[in-house]
Formats: sequence, C-alpha cells, structure tokens
Amino acid sequence: MTTWAKPFTVAVPDADVERLHAKLELATFPDELDGAGWDYGVPLADIKRLSEYWKNTFDWRKAERSINEIPQFTTDIEVDGFGSLNVHFVHQKSEVENAIPLLFVHGWPGHFLEVRKLLPLLTAGSHDHPAFHVVAPSLPGFGFSEAPGKPGFAGPQFAETFNKLMLSLGYNEYVYQGGDFGHIIGVYVANIYGHKHMKGWLSNMPMYRRPTAFSNPLLFLELLTLPFNKTLRDRIAAVQHLQTTGMGYFNVQATVPQTIGYSLADSPIGLLAWLYEKLYMGVGGYPWTEDEVLEWISIYWFSRAGPGAPARIYYELTGGNSHDLFEGTTWTSVPLGLAWFPQEPVRLPKSWAHMIGKVVFESDHEVGGHFAAFEQPQALVSDLRKMFGKGGPAHGVVPGKDGYQ
Amino acid sequence: MAPAADTETPFTLAVPDSALELLRAKLALTRLPDELDGAGWEYGAPLADVRRLVARWQDAFDWRAHENAINDALPMFTRPLAVDGHGTLDVHYVHKRSEVPNAIPLLFVHGWPGHFLEVRKVLPLLTAASPEHPSFHVVAVSLPGYGFSEAPRKPGFSGKQYAELFNKLMLSLGYEEYVYQGGDWGHMLGAYTAVQCGPKNLKAWHTNIPVSEQPTLWSHPLAYLKSLLPYDQKTLEGLQATGLYRMKGLGYMIQQATKPQTIGYSLADSPAGLLAWVYEKLVAWSDDYPWTDDEVLEWVSIYWFSRSGPAATLRIYYEMTAGNTQDILKGAKGPTVPVGLSYFPQEVFRLPKSWAHTLGKIVFVAEHGKGGHFAAHEQPEALVGDVRKMFGKGGGAYGVVPGKDGYA
Repeated sequence: MTTWAKPFTVAVPDADVERLHAKLELATFPDELDGAGWDYGVPLADIKRLSEYWKNTFDWRKAERSINEIPQFTTDIEVDGFGSLNVHFVHQKSEVENAIPLLFVHGWPGHFLEVRKLLPLLTAGSHDHPAFHVVAPSLPGFGFSEAPGKPGFAGPQFAETFNKLMLSLGYNEYVYQGGDFGHIIGVYVANIYGHKHMKGWLSNMPMYRRPTAFSNPLLFLELLTLPFNKTLRDRIAAVQHLQTTGMGYFNVQATVPQTIGYSLADSPIGLLAWLYEKLYMGVGGYPWTEDEVLEWISIYWFSRAGPGAPARIYYELTGGNSHDLFEGTTWTSVPLGLAWFPQEPVRLPKSWAHMIGKVVFESDHEVGGHFAAFEQPQALVSDLRKMFGKGGPAHGVVPGKDGYQ
Repeated sequence: MAPAADTETPFTLAVPDSALELLRAKLALTRLPDELDGAGWEYGAPLADVRRLVARWQDAFDWRAHENAINDALPMFTRPLAVDGHGTLDVHYVHKRSEVPNAIPLLFVHGWPGHFLEVRKVLPLLTAASPEHPSFHVVAVSLPGYGFSEAPRKPGFSGKQYAELFNKLMLSLGYEEYVYQGGDWGHMLGAYTAVQCGPKNLKAWHTNIPVSEQPTLWSHPLAYLKSLLPYDQKTLEGLQATGLYRMKGLGYMIQQATKPQTIGYSLADSPAGLLAWVYEKLVAWSDDYPWTDDEVLEWVSIYWFSRSGPAATLRIYYEMTAGNTQDILKGAKGPTVPVGLSYFPQEVFRLPKSWAHTLGKIVFVAEHGKGGHFAAHEQPEALVGDVRKMFGKGGGAYGVVPGKDGYA
C-alpha cells in the first residue's frame, strides 16, 4: 500500500483567531469560595491571569510560525469500517540512514507537540547512542487529524491507524514510545501488530488491569503483604485517592462526551480550566510559562475537529464506561520498557506492570511527571537510547536498523 | 403570630438589560462541537437539540415575557438570615399563604438542576381551600447559591447549615412548626432537617425520591431482615436500572463533587455549555415529559441569570460529600420524624422499598405509574394528591402541626 503524504502547515484562519479574541473579551468568570485554593478545582486567580494573557499578550501567529518549523504532513489512512481518515503527523528523519523508526503517540490532554523537545535529541547521530527516525501523529480527533465520523473507533482502530501510517512511510518494522493514551494504544499495537511490525516499546505510564487471584496469583498474593509493605500501601493509597478525587473528567468524558463538548467548543476559559487542571496537577512542579500553557490550549482550541472531539476517546475505549481501557488485550512478549517518573499521578505498584508485557528495561527517575516528553526530554531520550542502544536489552530489534552510523 | 416582616423585602425579578445584551452577544458567538453519525442521546445531549435551543434563545425567546409571568404568579421575597460560622446570607423565597388561616405551613425545597420555579404548578393546588383536603401555606426557598439567594462565601456549608437556614426561615415567617416537601437535594436536606429540627419544629416530611442507606442489622433490624428476602421482579428491575444509572449517569455528580470550580468556568462563560449540561438532565431524568423549547430556555435562564451564577450551584455536591469522600446522608442518620414517600417510576435511583425505613417513621407511601425526577413539574396533581392524603383527615400525618390541620 502506498499513500502519499502531503506537507502540512498549521494555518488557522484569521476569522478563527478573531472569534477567540471576541469570546475572550466577553469572558464571564464564576465566583470562588474564600481560601478555596486548588481544593475545588482550578483557582480563579490562575484562570484570570491566563485568560488576560491569552487575550492581550499571547501571540498565536508567532507560536504558529515556530510550530511550522517542525516537519508536518497529512496522509489518508483507510481504517476498516471507518473509511478514509486524514491523519496529521510530524515526521523527522535522522541523517543516520539506519536510524530506528520510532512511533511516538501522545494522549489526553496532550498533543503532537509533545514530541517537539525530543526531535533534535532522538534524530541526532552519534557513535555513542542510536538515532531514530521519528513519526508523531495527532490522534484521530486531536490536533490536525480528522476525527472518526461514527461510533466505535476504539483501541484496535487507533492501533490500525498508526500501524498503517508507519507502513505507508516505508517503516515495516518500528519501535514505539507513549504515555497516557499513547501507552494504552501501545498495548493494542503490541497485541495486534507486535513482533510482526512493532518490535519493542517504552511506556512512561505503565498501567494495566489490577491483579486478581485468577489472573495473576503471585501479584495478588503480594497484595496480602500490604500490612507489612509500606511502599505498596502508599502507592495503592495514592491511586485510591486519585480514584476518589480526580476522576470527574474521566467519568464525564466516558459517558457524556457530547455534553461536555458544548462547553469546551464554546468557552475558551472553560477549555482552559478543563485542560490546565491536568497540566498543573500532572507534573512534578514543572514551571509552566503562560506562553507554554496557552500554546498548548490553543492547539485544542484551533484543532481541526474542535475541542469536543478528543473527549470521545474516553467513551470509545471504555464502551461508554462499561469496561476497562484494555478490552480484549493480554500480556504480550513484545519487549517492553518502563520509564517511572515520580510525579506521574497514575502510579500503580511496579510489580503490576509486568502484567502488560515482557519487561526488558526499567528506569527510575528523580524528577518528572505525566508529560515526560515535555518535562524531561533528556531523561526520556536517555531511556530510549539505553533500551535500544548497543548493550541494551532491545538492541537491534528492528533488523538492519540499529540506529548507528 | 404575625410574620416578622421587618427584615423581609419584596422581590421582583428584574434582569438588567446589560445582562440580556451580554447573553445575546455570547449566543451570537456560539461555536458548536461536531457529533458522531447516529449518536442520538448515547454520547450526551444531541447536537440538533442544542443547536435549535441556542438559536431560539438568541432570536426568539422572550425573557421579559417570562419574567413578567413569574412575577405575576409568584409572590417573592428576600430576607437576611444568619448561619453559624457563615455570616448572613440574603435568602430568596416564594411565600404564599392560603386563605385558610389554619393551613399547614409547608417548606418546599428544590435540588439540582432545579430551582424555586418548580413550585409554580403545585402552588395554587397546595394553597387551595376545600372541605375535601387540607390546605397549606407554602414557602419555596431558593437554596443558597441558587436562583436569587446569595451563595455561601466559605467552605463547609453543608447539611447542618442548610437545616439551620431552613429552620430560621420558617421561624422568621412565624411558622414555629411546619412540614416539608422535597426531592433531589430537597430530599437529602429533608433528612438533615428532620434530624436537626424535628420533632420540635419540623413535624413531618414528604419526599418524592426516597433514597436511603441500606438498613443494617443494628440500625433497623426489621428492615434489614426484610431486605434479605429475595427481591421481586420490579425491585430487581429498579436495582438494575439504578446500577446502570450509576455506571452511565454519574459523570456530572463526580465532577461536581470533586472539581466544581473547574466545570464552573464553562457553565459561567458559555450559555450553550450551560444549556447542554442542564438540558441533558431535564430530559434524561423526566418521564417522557414534553418539554417545550421555551420551558427549557426559561429553566436554563434562571441558572444563567442567577444571583451568584451557575458555578455556585455545583458546590453543594462537594460540601455534602466532603469532596466525594463520604456518603451524602452520613450526617443525617436515624431521623425519627414521620415521613411520607412517593415513588415515581422514572426516578433515577430506584432502591428497594425496605431500605426506606432508614428515613424515619413511614406514615405514607404512594406509587405512581408515570413521572420522573422532577415530580412537582411533571406530575403536580399526583404530587399534591399525595401530600394532601398524607396530611389530610385519615392520613398518616394528619394534625402533626398542632392547631393547623389545614381545614377551614
């Protein structure tokens, strides 16, 4: 199959930029309880500060020019049962001919620009570490990718889209990096295309099902050591706390994405609050600048399918909240690397990650959170280099492309 | 005893022109999301509905006509009421006395996404005089943060505070002893008010959503034993529907109980966003009620034009669950005051009837074949019929308010 990729430039119409500003001019803010802090959600002072900056100072055209320095393309991908989808992606080749093809997949509320800081590092040639050809798509419905038009676009469909994308670029065999939905889709890619096409992968959000007595007796037995195992107790308590206090967005998007979509499409400050809550809470004290935050939110605001579309991934991958995110998947023997970042909110007991796949690499970082590629690009690249480099556990997984000059 | 009118001020609904203009300006800039083919109601409020409602709200909906009609139909007031630890709140309410001097004082309490207007259809029926049924003096309060009541300013305004406020409102109107009717939060707060202010002030209460804790062997042994028996088909269907609702229908509740401020920005800033958020419930929770567009738009406009804005209405979920960490009824255990229950078939929580014994001494039960969550709006005659039976001659709560049995 050959599909031709067309170069893509981000070019938001003037009318759209004007409408954003018109809406910001009319922004109506809610009240707030005295001393609320972050307890009830994003503080009013933060939203006012960011909204003022967005209205008066943030230069979208400048950001757009800078984004367009990254080589971007679109191509049509046929997805079984869904017709043709126009997929937007970053594609940067290394000067090293035998560089390892790498598929980088973002999540929610992330986007393709999360690959930005990794690009120069991953594609750099050296005798000391492998180089990569990097492909970073926008998930269908996110960024500048077309959204699926009908219900049912779930894990297998995302996996199919990305596998076909890699094949269309001539990358019959490749490796993979992802966190958030990038991780979840990675599980599907490993399950469906593992070994044949996807040869190995690194996740920065190692998450899977909870062990049960039947599925994983040994891990389940480990849970019985809870009273004596403070590390395990703390991790489970943290996850339970997240379950209790941090899952509103998940439940809303997994059951009524259309309803929240009206707010996100229509209110810039509503979208800002919805996403910024995660940007702030998911990182390890990353010093977001106003420009960084607003460029991030603007990608959602100006996205091809609009800000209502991304929420649907939660619905589709959980069957409308009727099953978990990993429906139909199992453990695979595709080499798996785990990158542990301390401020990642979804931090399950490390032993549970072995239920995902054959763990061949693990790294423990001192700093960093959910948006690892954005917060700690060096650390993530270092992990990829160690995992796939000479002497590494997944060296040479892509035959003939070990990434060295 | 004459009502204390000294701090009461008559209230006329009068939204400023500038607010109407801002709403129209925002509606004119509405950007709607896309929608999946054949989505129907599966993913939330359908695009065609929201598009149509937004267009009408902008061009054809006559808010002033509705405002005038509300002012004509409902005698409204505000008065400042002090709540321990929360200073003074200016509280908005409807107050209509029956021509029957010994009518029963009744406090009607709405929930979310409801408001004081839910009393509109039941008001003339409740205050009507007749030898056949009791009459009521009706007070319909706007919960703090809703309608035209001031919102609490600090954290911690919860069940205890609502009960205190309701009781003070009724006492300030000269109603030392009264009864209560509520659904949604009105139900939950009924349990709190019953525990805190009954039987001294609150003599009996009626709920149209009998949600309760499961009885335990220790709390309600007889009800517990009854709940162990196999459930009948109807009860099983109710439990199943409740389970399905818990899986599919609680997103809004979890959001509002954990991060009300975050969703608050959207609801305060986007009329279309607020409309969709509320409209989805108006339809999902009612029993095929034939909402007209203007009915919906009037309802949502109350939220949009409310004194404290729509975001303030969400915090009750956070406060009453301590940020989703505890059961709503945790602080309202073991009410003993007489309670009446009306079961409407499309109510979202359909729990086994044996559980309702945890709500108090059951003196009245009615089951209906039609109606959902918004009983006073969907089935006013049925609801009033139940309240009249409960408090009327021969009823389980007849004469609970000494000297005021509701008959001429």
